[in-house]
This record gives sequence, structure tokens and C-alpha cells, in this order.
Amino acid sequence: MNDNFEPKIVAIFCYWCTTQAAELAGTSRMTYAPNVKIVKTMCTGRVDPQFILWAFRNGADGVIVSGCHPPSDCHYEDGNFKWFRKYVLLSKTLEQAGIDPKRLRQEWISASEADKLKKVITEFTEEIRALGPLKHPIREGGD
Amino acid sequence: MINSREILESFEGRMREFIDGENFKKCIQCGICGGSCPFGFYTDFTPRKIITATRAEIVNEVIESNAPWLCTSCNLCTSRCPSKIPITDALIPVLRELAMNYSHPPDELGQALTNIHRMGNSFGESNKKRTKWSEGIGFPVKVLKKGEHVEYLFIVDDFGSFDLRGQEITKAIAKLFRILGIDFGILGEKEKSIGDHVRLAGEFGLFEEIAKSNINELKNYSFEKIITMDPHAFNSLKNEYPKFNFSKDVIHYTQLIDERLNDIKKILHPLNYTVTYHDPCYLGRKNGIYDAPRRIIESIPGIKFVEMYRNRENSFCCGGGGGGIWYDSYIKKYVKVRPAEERVLEASKTGANVLLVTCPIDAIMFEDAIKVTGLEGKLKVMDISELLLESIGKGV
Amino acid sequence: MENRIGVYICHCGTNIAGKVDVEKVREYASHLKNVVIARTYMFMCSEPGQEMIIKDIKEYGLNRIVVAACTETLHGHTFREAAKKGGLNPYLVQMVSIREFDSWVTENKEEATEKAKSLIRAGVYRVNYHRPVETTTYPVNSNVLIVGAGIAGITAALVLADAGKHVYLVERQGFIGGNMAKFDKTFPTLDCASCILTPKMSAVKNNPNITLYTYSDVEKIDGFVGNFDVTINRRPRYVREDLCIGCLSCIENCVYKEPKFISEFDEGIGKRKPVYVSFPQAIPLVPVIDPETCIQFRTGKCVQTCLKGCPTKAIDFSMKEEKVNVKVGAIIAATGFKVFDASRDSKYGYGKLPNVFTTIQMERMLNSAGPTGGEIRLQDGSVPKEVAIINCVGSRNENFNAYCSRVCCMIGLKHAHMIKDRIGADVTIFYTDIRANGKGYEEFYRKIMLEGVNFVRGEVASIIPSENNRLTIIFEDTLLSRVRKKEVDMVILNVGLEPHDDWEDVRKVLNLTCTKEGWLMEKHPKLAPVTSLSDGRFIAGAAQFPKDIPDTVAQAEAAAAEAMSLVDRGVVESEPNVISIDENKCSGCKMCISVCPFNAITYNEEKNIAEVNIGLCKGCGACNAVCPSGAISQNNYTDDELFAEIMGVLRE
Repeated sequence: MNDNFEPKIVAIFCYWCTTQAAELAGTSRMTYAPNVKIVKTMCTGRVDPQFILWAFRNGADGVIVSGCHPPSDCHYEDGNFKWFRKYVLLSKTLEQAGIDPKRLRQEWISASEADKLKKVITEFTEEIRALGPLKHPIREGGD
Repeated sequence: MINSREILESFEGRMREFIDGENFKKCIQCGICGGSCPFGFYTDFTPRKIITATRAEIVNEVIESNAPWLCTSCNLCTSRCPSKIPITDALIPVLRELAMNYSHPPDELGQALTNIHRMGNSFGESNKKRTKWSEGIGFPVKVLKKGEHVEYLFIVDDFGSFDLRGQEITKAIAKLFRILGIDFGILGEKEKSIGDHVRLAGEFGLFEEIAKSNINELKNYSFEKIITMDPHAFNSLKNEYPKFNFSKDVIHYTQLIDERLNDIKKILHPLNYTVTYHDPCYLGRKNGIYDAPRRIIESIPGIKFVEMYRNRENSFCCGGGGGGIWYDSYIKKYVKVRPAEERVLEASKTGANVLLVTCPIDAIMFEDAIKVTGLEGKLKVMDISELLLESIGKGV
Repeated sequence: MENRIGVYICHCGTNIAGKVDVEKVREYASHLKNVVIARTYMFMCSEPGQEMIIKDIKEYGLNRIVVAACTETLHGHTFREAAKKGGLNPYLVQMVSIREFDSWVTENKEEATEKAKSLIRAGVYRVNYHRPVETTTYPVNSNVLIVGAGIAGITAALVLADAGKHVYLVERQGFIGGNMAKFDKTFPTLDCASCILTPKMSAVKNNPNITLYTYSDVEKIDGFVGNFDVTINRRPRYVREDLCIGCLSCIENCVYKEPKFISEFDEGIGKRKPVYVSFPQAIPLVPVIDPETCIQFRTGKCVQTCLKGCPTKAIDFSMKEEKVNVKVGAIIAATGFKVFDASRDSKYGYGKLPNVFTTIQMERMLNSAGPTGGEIRLQDGSVPKEVAIINCVGSRNENFNAYCSRVCCMIGLKHAHMIKDRIGADVTIFYTDIRANGKGYEEFYRKIMLEGVNFVRGEVASIIPSENNRLTIIFEDTLLSRVRKKEVDMVILNVGLEPHDDWEDVRKVLNLTCTKEGWLMEKHPKLAPVTSLSDGRFIAGAAQFPKDIPDTVAQAEAAAAEAMSLVDRGVVESEPNVISIDENKCSGCKMCISVCPFNAITYNEEKNIAEVNIGLCKGCGACNAVCPSGAISQNNYTDDELFAEIMGVLRE
């Protein structure tokens, strides 16, 4: 494993819960690894499994998707459930395709849980660091 | 001349090694710990004042005082602390460790620890005597050998093995197991102190050594669960040994009796006692087991059960924990009315004529206190197992 | 036609520039494809900052803007407005957070600078795919719904009603006034709580602009900001409000000669009959019949002396629940608090020992309209000689509530004064800190000290029963460093404040975010304390966090002002993030219809395609994620935009 390996992680967060938690983490000056870059959608219900595959293809070593706690925190009723069903199937698909499903992490983080956000980002960055860079034909140029 | 800075830094460094150890920095000086402590009136430094001493950088004064030794590790302070400071498991043991290095502990403590280290028990006797209680019991008690399998490994620990009163309780429990057809065995001379008191006394290194050695020894035997009669042994096996990769199930004997209550009820006869129950610190407050013993008591016909006011999580310690049972004479220098004496008086005020216990140390401390307070003949101490046997009938 | 992108990087003083090398980032951004101009500025949200964008749009012919600064939540609107002023569609702007998501959370400067580059690159790639989005405006309904008629709800209602807005004030108890109606006197002025509250309660009743629904709950809220559709459930009182004249003879005539059931209003130290009012000046002065204790409901056979003695025959046992539907433009949640249940902390013996009361019970005891007529008495009827007040019960305690409940220190001082004043008893306050930080509060503390109240710095560890029904308290006097005992007759537990038990259910109906303890969450702790995270909903009073009456009234007036500002604006912008369906691509599979939680999509039988009603679409994007034909796009969150952004954060 390359000692200088810095994991590249994309985080897809819903606006109402996890993005708010990230903003709160910022306001509270909590520090965490810069490896995680946040892309937001209004709801995790919007998250298409293609986004995650696209992320892996373009260099991500890990992806986090986080939204509002089930059963009833979702701003749009049950978008979080819709995402979760996709996540379960996607996780299996990744495994079958030869991508370690541990590289996709699913979380529920509410607007006030900035400390949980920091913990998840820190833990996941280290997990991916230990797993090493993603080596898979999905990468352009067969990285 | 002790360097106060050095001691303070040792203290802080050690505290940091415990989970939530740094919580002592959050002390709001409310004083609930001191007010709760059985020795609060007598100690030079309540836990709150110990923390004030760290802020004033005079920890050296604390370790030279009586404060590290006037603690029974009862957990009442810890269970109530609004800042969740681990006083019993961290603050006091760390202080004791410092006191043992830089000051002088009571002689009896040193003796007990040496005994444990050299002889494998705090009494300084040969471990071969661990099977003595089983002589004349009326049936063979299995001493486990390698390759044999048994359902329950019965860990007796020191007081149940070597103290005369403790041995009576162990006998009663074994008889109950026999009546219920429970498949159990003991380690006999291979058994060594489980070490909960060592840990609470601040001898972390010795505790780790004992734990690892015991865990290693246990690997040689085949059993499903461990069953104990000593709440301190129960506590260490359940909560501390897993830190050294120990993963066997552990229960206290009252939990097993509670499970088998329907079988026992069939053979109980009425008894005419008014009883009260003392929740042992390490079964009740520390490990949350309050109801199993009560269900057992309530299943005995004819018994009138009255609760003491300070019961369950507010139970008032017998004073024997944390090494207290060893250096009783040190404590007597500072304490006018010992906790056990206060407690038996409280028990007697309920109108009870039997004080029920489920810890051998409680039995020992309370019987002594009954003599001192003149309650002999008015209040008698029984372990729940002994009460059950009496209810089951003569000739047992 | 290539896009022409302007990138603006904010220093935000040293908040961003202190960590991120904004010049390096600007240099980097300027070389990205389609970026025509890249600038940095000290405070982009300022006038000159916004002017810079407006000017550049004209001068450089920009058709896309990226602003790298704080967050979209804080200033998305600001920069969209700036673009609009420059002649661009406001949704051709992308905000990138390099403050909350970068400079404030990254320790190392180099790493923060590199991260800023990635985030901005992603913004630039994304903005290429932004399309102009047109929104419409909807008229705003000028009515306001206020949930909770305690002092906060009442205050807000009066402010709005006096401004000509129609207010629906919904209270789930039978009577308004909330917790304040239970109090005797208020600190530090020692005003009588009823005296200052009842005129306001009367004003509520008499104001033609306020429709008061008591003994009612908000059941459902549909719609969106400016156009809420509220269903209110009016529970049956079994006394007709339109017929009742408030003579209270039904209570007098009830078959129960003496009150027998625990009175909730008296916090357990008083009793009531099955037919009751909370206090004689209650508003509305219309009794409630409790079906759990009324004999007529329990057995079906009562002589109904209440009905027989009623001059207007207002009692009606057949009353049923009634649903009312109202339309409002804004909602204020003022649902108040309850006190900590002291039986959870067993060391105080609350509920087991005699003469251990909570402060709210003491308020009822002190209140002359209360169960003891204002007399301070022990349970055996005698007058206590020694009283202990114990602070921080359930508060400042990580085993229960870690927070400080703010008002209890003052309540304790107040009770000490009143007890000493009325019965001359010896009073001792056991405290950890005395928090007297309001106007006139410290002076009140000193006054109480001068009156001879004792103070011991030390929380009480145990209370145990002693001889003669007295209580022994054991505590460490921390200033004296001595553990002591004291025998008293009465103990008052100064309990902290908590959200109501059913806060989780209530917040779901109102669609509000709460903290983990259950306090209503404000949009920004400093700058937006009465605005909730959901549009059109405001919060006020102790439901947001414990506070005293002056702060509650101030927040209520603020929430009323915010609500008024919203409804007076007259219009609200429609949801920008709605979806559109390309009818040429739609295969009529109906997947989108099955996932839409708002029934915004319908099936056109003739054309065999799905169609969206953008008035109902809330912009979640779930349909976009499931459409197999790629016929659905969500404004501002199209696949292209998201793919571009994801690639941008990872690589060039």
C-alpha cells in the first residue's frame, strides 16, 4: 500500500438534515479530514446509483451517502426509504462487480448531529485509507 | 519531599488512560459525591475536594491524607455524578496507586495484595484449601479437570472459599444447585483471586496480570457459563475481563435461581420471618440486578418482606468493598460509626428480624456490626440461598 | 456557444482567507474552461461585492456565476438577487461553500487551499449545466395559525390581531394561559402572574380577529408557505361553548360532593371533579367534562345533576369530535414546556417521602386561587418551620438533562422570599451556582440574602425520613468542605424544564426540526432565533429553550413580526426545484407516479404519459431518480449538473 495515499471521498448529503449538520460542524469549527468533498441534493431520494458508480469511475475511493433519520425525519416524507432500498441493491451490485461494498457508506445524520458527522467522516477516511486506492476496470484508463 | 507538580502530572496522565477519565475536568463542585459517601463525614478529602486539590496543585496533600483509604468503592458517588466522572473505577484507584508509590497505604492492604500475588488469594492460605467447604456437604462436588465438560463453572472467589461464614454460604448455594439438578463444577485449587479488589485498590498492573493468568487458565476447561456467588467477582468477570479478550457469559447465582423459580416454588414451605434485603453495591447499583433477588424472596410463602428506605440504587454500602474489609482497624481510627453498623440499625428499624444478603462480604460485615450494635438476637443475617434452603426443609 | 463564467471568491475577512490561499485559488479558477473572469473580494455579500458581480455580468457578458463563500443557506438568496439585478436568471448562479465546508473545518492550510480548488472546480463544471429556472409567485394568505396559548402564543396572537391579521389560536388544554397561569408571583418584581396575564387572556377572548380553539389539537398541515391548509381537531368538552354562561353551577351540582380526582393543573397537589375549570378566572370560562372520571361516561347511568342545574342546558353528553379546516399563510409554534419529573431522580424521595414538593407544586400552593387557598402547609395540615429548597434538580446533570434550565435559580429565590414572608419559616437554598443574570435579578438575589434566607453551596445528596415525619437532608457544604446533615419539615425541589412528553409527535405534525432533547430548532442560533428551518413556520417561547417571561414575550413579539413580514409581503416564490417531464421521452411506465409522496404527478390516459402539477411538486427529486427513460429532470438538480459536480470534486 502506498504510504502517501490520500483517499478521495465524495459525500452526497441531503440538504435538510446532513448538509445542515455539516454547516453546523463548520460553525462549531469542528475539524475533519479534507478528503471528503460534499455534493448536495435536496433529498437522498434523488440519489441515483449511477452517481455512486460515476464517482468511483472518476477517482473516488469511497462514497458516503447520508440523509434524514427514518422513519419520519425526511422533509419529503419517505425519500430516505427510497434511497435506502436502492442502497441495499447497490451494495450487492458493487460486491458482484468486484468493488468492496465497504467503500460505500450509508448514514443517517440529522441537522443537530454535527459531532456524528465529524466522527463518520474521520472514521470512513481512515477505513478507506486502510483499504487502499480503488483498483478496478471501472476507472478510466484501467487505473 | 514529594514533588507536587510531578504527582499532578502523573494523576492527569493516568486519568486520561480511562474511558471518560478526563471528565474530572468537568467537575462543577456540586458536592453530591461527598454528600453521598458513606465516609463523607470522616474523610479529609471528598472526591469533589480531591478535584479541587488538583486545581490547586496539591495532590500530594491528598495522597498523604486518609482520603484514598476511606472509600468502599460503593459507586454511589459515581452513579450520581452530574458530570459522569468515573470516581470509583478511575479517580480513587489512581489516587491509591499514587499513594502506594509516594506515601504509605494501610499495612493490611499491603499484606492482602502480597498474599494475592504470592498465594493466589488474599487470605495467605494455600489454594488447596479452596475445596474445604465441600467436605461433609453430603454429595461430591465436581472439581473440573481438563477435557471434562460442565454446564456451569462455579467461581467462588476468596471470601466464599476461605472465610468460615463465607463457606457456609457457599455450601448453601451448592446444595441448592444440587436440588435443582444443576450441572456445575469448581476449579478447586486451580482457582485464584478474580481480583476486583486489586483493581479498586489501584494495583492496575497486578490486576492485569491476575486477569490474564485467570483467562489463560480458564481456556483449559470446557463449560457454557460461569456462575458466581461473589458480586465483586461477578463484576470483574463481566465488565473488566472482556477488556483482555474474555468472552464467556457470567451470571450471579440469584439470576439462575430466578430463572428456575417455578421449579423451586413447588418445594418451598412457609417460613415465619420478617425480612429485609440489602442490595449489594456490585450486584445492584453497579450491575443493575435488583429484581431477581426480590422475586426469589417474594416467592417464599409466609415471609413478610419490608424494604429499607435506602434500597436499590440508593442502597447504603456495608463498608467492606474496595479493600475496606481488609483494613477495618485503619478505618476505625477515623470513623465513629462504621457503615455496616449504620446499616444494620437501619435494617432493624424496618421491623425485620432477618437481614438478607447476596454477597459474602455483606454477611461478614453485617454480622460483626450486629454484635457491636447490640442487635444480637434481634436481627440475623442470612444469605438468600440459606433462606431458601430453610424453606425447602430439614435434612437438607 | 460557449458559456462565460465569472468566479468570485470571498475572503470573508480572515474566516476564509486566513486558512485558504484565496489568490492561488483565484489563479487556478481563472484557467478553468469557460471561466472568463475570476476575482477575490473581502466580503462578497456586501454591497460592493454584489455590485462587482452585477458590473461584471454586463462588462464581460457573463452568463454563469460561481460564488465561493459561506453557504447557500446563508447567502444563496443574496447572490441570486445580485445576478437578477445584473440581468441574469437567478438560477444561473452556483454557490460553493469554502467556509463551512472547508476553511472552518480543515486544519492544514495547504489542504484547505487544495480542497477549495476542488470544490470551486466542481462548481464551475456544474454551473455549465444550469438552465434558467422561472418561478412564479403565489399570493400569501394573511391568516396566521398559532399553536399553543400560553404567554407566548397569547402575546403573538394579540400583536398580529391588532395589526389586522386574523389569528387561529389553538390550545390543547381546556383553558388558555399555559404554565404562567399556574404561577403565583413572577420574579423579580413579584407581580402577581394572574394580574398581568388575565387582561391579556381577556383581550384574546374579545378580539374579533382571534378565533380561539381550546381543547383542540392541530391534526394535519398540508400545503406550503403562504398557503397552509390546516386541519384542527376540536375534542368534545361536553359543554356547549355557545350556550354556557360561565356560572359554574354544574361543578357545584356534580354528584361528587367533594373533588376526588388528581387535578393536572394543580400539578398533583389538588383535586378536581370530573367537571372542572382550571381556575375560576379561566378563559374560556366553560367547564370541561373528563370522560375518564365522569360517572355518566363510565357507567351510562348518572342522575346528571350538572345538566339539571344548568340554567341554559349547555351540557351535552353527545358532543363529538369536530374537525375544522382553516387556511393560513404562516404558523407560529409556541408549545411551551413541562417540568422535570423528579421521581426519576430517586435520591430525593419525590413521590415516596411526605412533604417533598416541586417548585411548580409550590406555585400552586402559594397561589391564592390554588388548592390550599394560598396557605403553605405540610401534608398533615401543619405549618412548616424549616424549609429546604434544592436547586438543579434534573438540570446540569448528564444523567438527566445536561443543560441549565435558566429560570430555576430565580424561582428558588422567589419562593424563599414568599415562604419567609408568609409563614416566617427558616429557609435554606442549596445551590451549586446562583444564576441571576437578568435585569434586576442580581439585586433581587441580594435582597433575598438580606431577608435572612440561608444559602449553602452544595447539592443535596440524599433525603431520608427521620423522626416525627421530618426529613433529614445530607449534603456536602462545599465552601466549608464539610459533609453535614440538616433536619427540615419541607423540601422543595427546584426542577428544571423539559419539552413536553409528546414533542416527537407534535413536531411531525408541525414539520419542525428539534434538537435531540426535543427543543424546537431555530434556523440560526444568533441571527434567526425565531425562524424555524421550515419555510413559513416560526417558533417562540420556552418551546425553543427554557427562558423567563420577559424573553418569552420578546420572542413571541419577534415571531409575530416575522409572521407579519411574511404575510404582508403578499407573495411567496414558488418552489424552484420542481421537476419537468419531457413528453417525448416519457414511456408511460408510471414509476414516477408511484414514488411521488405529494401526488403531484398524474397519468394522462390520452397521451399515455405522466404529467406534473408543479403547484404540488415540492422538489424532492425522487421521480428523477427512478425514471428509466430519463424523461424527468429536476430543476437545479439534473443528472448532468450532478454528474458534473461529482466529477469536478474528484478530478479535472
